[in-house]
Amino acid sequence: MMTVPTSSSSSKLSINDLTKRFAMPRGEEIVAISGVSFDVEENQVCVILGPSGCGKSTVLRMIAGLERPSSGSLILDGRSIDGPGRDRGMVFQAYTSFDWLTVRQNVEYGMRINGVGAKERRSRADHFIKLVQLSEFADAYPSRLSGGMKQRVAIARTLANDPELLLMDEPFGALDAETRWHMQELLVEIANNTSTTIIMITHDIEEAIFVADKIVFMSRHPGRVHRIIVPEFKGGERIADKEALIAREGYAELEREIMRLMRQQGGH
Amino acid sequence: MSGKSRQWFAVRGPVTATQKIVSALLVWAIFFAAWEFMSFAGLVNPLLVPPPHKVVATLVDLFVNRGFTGDVAISVGRVMFSFAIACAIAVPLGVLMGVFPSIEAFLNPFVSGWRYLPAPSFIPILLMWFGTGEAPKLVLLVIGVIFFLITLIMDHTKEVRQELIETGMTLGADRMTIVRTVVVPAVLPNILVAMRQMLAVSWTYLVIAEIVASTDGIGAMMMRARRFLHTDEIMSGIIVIGVLGIALDILFRYLHAWFFPYLSKSKS
Repeated sequence: MMTVPTSSSSSKLSINDLTKRFAMPRGEEIVAISGVSFDVEENQVCVILGPSGCGKSTVLRMIAGLERPSSGSLILDGRSIDGPGRDRGMVFQAYTSFDWLTVRQNVEYGMRINGVGAKERRSRADHFIKLVQLSEFADAYPSRLSGGMKQRVAIARTLANDPELLLMDEPFGALDAETRWHMQELLVEIANNTSTTIIMITHDIEEAIFVADKIVFMSRHPGRVHRIIVPEFKGGERIADKEALIAREGYAELEREIMRLMRQQGGH
Repeated sequence: MSGKSRQWFAVRGPVTATQKIVSALLVWAIFFAAWEFMSFAGLVNPLLVPPPHKVVATLVDLFVNRGFTGDVAISVGRVMFSFAIACAIAVPLGVLMGVFPSIEAFLNPFVSGWRYLPAPSFIPILLMWFGTGEAPKLVLLVIGVIFFLITLIMDHTKEVRQELIETGMTLGADRMTIVRTVVVPAVLPNILVAMRQMLAVSWTYLVIAEIVASTDGIGAMMMRARRFLHTDEIMSGIIVIGVLGIALDILFRYLHAWFFPYLSKSKS
């Protein structure tokens, strides 16, 4: 088990007073998110959690550079984020395997367009395919894979490209419960075995507590950071076995607390 | 009802491969039998409607003794050559219009306008410009399909999912790399489908062109036969056109399965 990185003076990613407004057809404006600030440390797993409509996807898309903030700043490794780039790889909820490429070619894709040599490409691809347990499907086309396997391809493809941040937008949202739980365990393992910093979005409380070193809880209308929650009960460790996690003292209290927040903020 | 008929006429029930073949042969057998019977019973004027066995005999005679193969080859050549020109222009334009809204905004008003101009209405002026050689026929065949082809390919290109494009961006692909390595391979199977559909249309314009102004080709043979009241030859021409159309359609379906093996779920 690995010790979780805690707050330091120079953060990996630093988000300051981020605001996003969308123009509506009749000239009105909708404030999607307002005054969002939080930091993410090197090698941390940061989960953004909140009720639907709180703008968590918008925050992630701005980190990815797929959308521009209306105001505020996003600083990665001391540099301002401007547009998408290979240093911030994104895994979407929808399956994004390139159907015309085999699993290995999918995982090699990022390296190929960035000019990594064939030999290194091959060995890195094999390493990450093994990490997501797809070695026996390396030469198969994605149409033969299940939903969970397709998401593993997407994760391996992103990691093989050696990004600073792995961004995931509800990556397990379309999967059935059992697959989902396996994928969460796999993600904790990946976090322990790579140096990549991970930012993940979910609305699943259990998932958030399981994988997160830090939870950014957002409220809505407009989207704001409501609370930063560190699951202290894990004692600074990542626990790759979900049963063991749930059995820990403090898990149930935290889950109940977040459920209460969700109910207040969700307005149901 | 007996068990057998319940099986054959199940509501929305599956149709076996054997049943499909038997049914397809049966419907044509009924058609030709009815035709043959009407000729035999003297219900139709044999000069205008020759019996099917006579048409078949004429068809064989045309190919064996009267050099019809040359006419067929010329017709097929015209379709293939003009269609290749149309595709060479329509594929890149359609893809670019589907990727870049600014190019669409510029070209689509022009392309849409042309789509509403029936190609045969250009025949008189094409004859004045180009005389009766190959040029007016090729131009007619090209303008008959190219604008539909561009529109179909543009629409298919727009359907390429945004997540695939954004995945490419977060893996470090620039604009042209996205077009080359994501959009084009993603849309290629649908481009082939659009080509298959428009090839059938091209075939229609070919016959129009050859009937109006030509001394060779299938359509020209049919117009010659009309002058001498050789209805059996005209009908032979119709049959050849139909069979060639079906053959091209089947050929494109095989090409599709051959080029895009990853679309079939059964095997890798």
